[in-house]
Amino acid sequence: MSSSNDDVQPGVPAVETAAMDAMVEIERADPREELAKTDHDTELGIAMAEDAKRVSRGDISAEAYWEKYDAAAEREFGDAYRETPNPSIQSTDQTIDAGTADSLSCTVGSIESVACEIDAASADEMDAATDGNRTRWGMVIDLQKCVGCDSCTVACKAENRTPPGVSYNVVMEEEHGEFPNVTRTNVPRPCMQCEEPPCVQVCPVSATYKMDNGVVNIDYDRCIGCRYCMIACPYGARYFDFGENYDDEVEGAGEITSPEYGVDRGKRQDGESPIGNVRKCSFCTHRLERGEEPACVETCVGDARNMGDLNDPDSDVAEMADSTRSFQLKESEGTDPNVYYLK
Amino acid sequence: MATDTTHFEFEPGFTDNRLRVVWYAALAVLLLIGGAAMILRITEGMTSTNLTSTTPWGAWVAFYIYFVGLSAGAFLVSTLANVFGVSGMHRVDRDALFAAIISMVVALMFVWVDLGRMDRMYFPFIWRQLTSALSWEVHAYVAYIAVLVTELYFSMRIDLARVAERGSGLRAGLSGLLTLGRRSTSEASRVTDRKWLTRAGIVGIPLAIFLVHGGTGILFAVSKARPYWNSGLFPVIFVVSAVLSGTALVMMLYVLRTKLFDDEPVDRDLLNRLAVLLAAFIVVDAALTGIEMLIAIASLHPHEVETWAVILFGEMSWSFWWFMVGMGWLFPLVMLSKREWRETPWLMVLAGLSVVIGIIAVRFNIVVPAQILPVMEGLPHGSYFPSLVEWATSIGMIAVGLLLYTIGAELLPLTPLDRGDH
Repeated sequence: MSSSNDDVQPGVPAVETAAMDAMVEIERADPREELAKTDHDTELGIAMAEDAKRVSRGDISAEAYWEKYDAAAEREFGDAYRETPNPSIQSTDQTIDAGTADSLSCTVGSIESVACEIDAASADEMDAATDGNRTRWGMVIDLQKCVGCDSCTVACKAENRTPPGVSYNVVMEEEHGEFPNVTRTNVPRPCMQCEEPPCVQVCPVSATYKMDNGVVNIDYDRCIGCRYCMIACPYGARYFDFGENYDDEVEGAGEITSPEYGVDRGKRQDGESPIGNVRKCSFCTHRLERGEEPACVETCVGDARNMGDLNDPDSDVAEMADSTRSFQLKESEGTDPNVYYLK
Repeated sequence: MATDTTHFEFEPGFTDNRLRVVWYAALAVLLLIGGAAMILRITEGMTSTNLTSTTPWGAWVAFYIYFVGLSAGAFLVSTLANVFGVSGMHRVDRDALFAAIISMVVALMFVWVDLGRMDRMYFPFIWRQLTSALSWEVHAYVAYIAVLVTELYFSMRIDLARVAERGSGLRAGLSGLLTLGRRSTSEASRVTDRKWLTRAGIVGIPLAIFLVHGGTGILFAVSKARPYWNSGLFPVIFVVSAVLSGTALVMMLYVLRTKLFDDEPVDRDLLNRLAVLLAAFIVVDAALTGIEMLIAIASLHPHEVETWAVILFGEMSWSFWWFMVGMGWLFPLVMLSKREWRETPWLMVLAGLSVVIGIIAVRFNIVVPAQILPVMEGLPHGSYFPSLVEWATSIGMIAVGLLLYTIGAELLPLTPLDRGDH
């Protein structure tokens, strides 16, 4: 294959295939040098690698390959060789014939079966530690670092695609004192994800409930929109979705919705949930599930918002929540929020 | 029995046909307005209301608790005859029960319209929450309606059987169906009916007081986030104002039906008895509300004090002074103060109507003020007055109730055939 100068694409360098291969050769590590770095036999490694290339070219069979090297590999790697599953021996998709596979000293089983054993072992571990070690998501907001820029509110609206009148996060701005002795406090308010949530207590259809990870969930497919939870919430953190849209402000405003609580509902449509339901901050559960921080935490310009596992005593949030500066909103309500503030 | 010897004639309903036409025409207009508004409510969703996330409960919730209260009150009046055997009250017991059933139907319509997802109205019967007062309430309402229907059946069955036996036409046919096959008019069957009537009433009294209406009060009182509601006296006031409105309604219906349907002289003793009862309930209701207010203000809890300031001096204070205090308490108390006035039927209709309207303001002043002040400083203040759609749908649903009541009163022997004088 050769490329001619006629069909050169703009922005794509016109390089011959041979030249590219040469470039790869320059970058390729020298096998001898690499193998010399290990404790194992360099010559055996080189020989196995060369024969492996022959197997992939079809010059020799996989059976012949493993018969040739099985004894040598066992001598070289010992128990480690015997206990490591051989990729050629798969219970469902075995690449060498059964007779040869049986004759090999490496008989630990397929990669799949080993992987299953590892999963089962870690699941047992999780079960044993369910109550003690499960994640309890918590947020700590340092009021000394909050500048009141409201970017958390904006990030939240962008991430969760909330309609007009619904704002999972707001910044409550309070001014105290008289000029010139005035102070201003900015208190960002997401959902507190209370340990004892009054909203869960009053829902007549248990559409809102506490998840194992501490987040209070709303099942949009069950919520009947009676708004009793909004009456019960001492933090005003719940909002009713009246079905309004930003159509006048943005073209195609309802085209994309956020996969809240991990459920992708597609386009925003009249008469479809979450319209007619009560909504609130979910600590960006969908982001937490893919290992990301909530949008408000990620965007905070002063690094005032912190997210982490309150059940892990070594986590930053657990340490901050334990500090003398820490407090919760309306502690006397007995709701025990998982959102802490630092004075 | 008087009806055994005289020519049997059963024609309840308007004696004046012109009045009938005017009344149904007026209801038709109200139903049309309500129907149009309901279409807007369904197509536009909750944006057709003036509700917000700060004030999520409004007129529909206020009317819902109003009609639950009206029903509980009317039912309790009926038990004066059925359970406690107060003499002379049998004349009004069926009317009270029938009005109680219709009120519950209207109340449930208001709850239904208020749901963000009207299509999911049956969900509370599929999924429950033991700690939710609302979850319990929904079930209590169903049980309560069952008790009311049972009561009305045992109270009216013997007359239904008589009408089916001796009457003719639509009324006789309907009455025959409603006897559910028990067509005996013997004294023994009457005794059996009375026995079951009392039994159902005994189940119904605690159900109505503690679960249905007390429970509706509890629904509000458990909301610790709203200190104005979060008081032990609250459910008690709920029940008292319910009995107040129920008594007023029954008194009003008694006079109107006796005059316009039965064309008979009003029993002045009965009227006086109902009026005295009404006056007593007004005094208790006003006194308990006063106590509730004093405790709230004396607590110096900022949220409580400010909420009462909103009620007494705020934007909507006219509803408190003119409707709640004026029409609910003062005007009827004056009307009820002289025996001569208490025995004047049209004045008592006026007094009853005044209370029935005044208690609507009581319900609004329960629901709305607690949602005006934000739950936390820094959140937006609420401001609420029902939208045109909210008013018009409310009128429509009330008209449905009036229509159902009128049809029932035209077809059923709500007035005992023996005039309840046994």
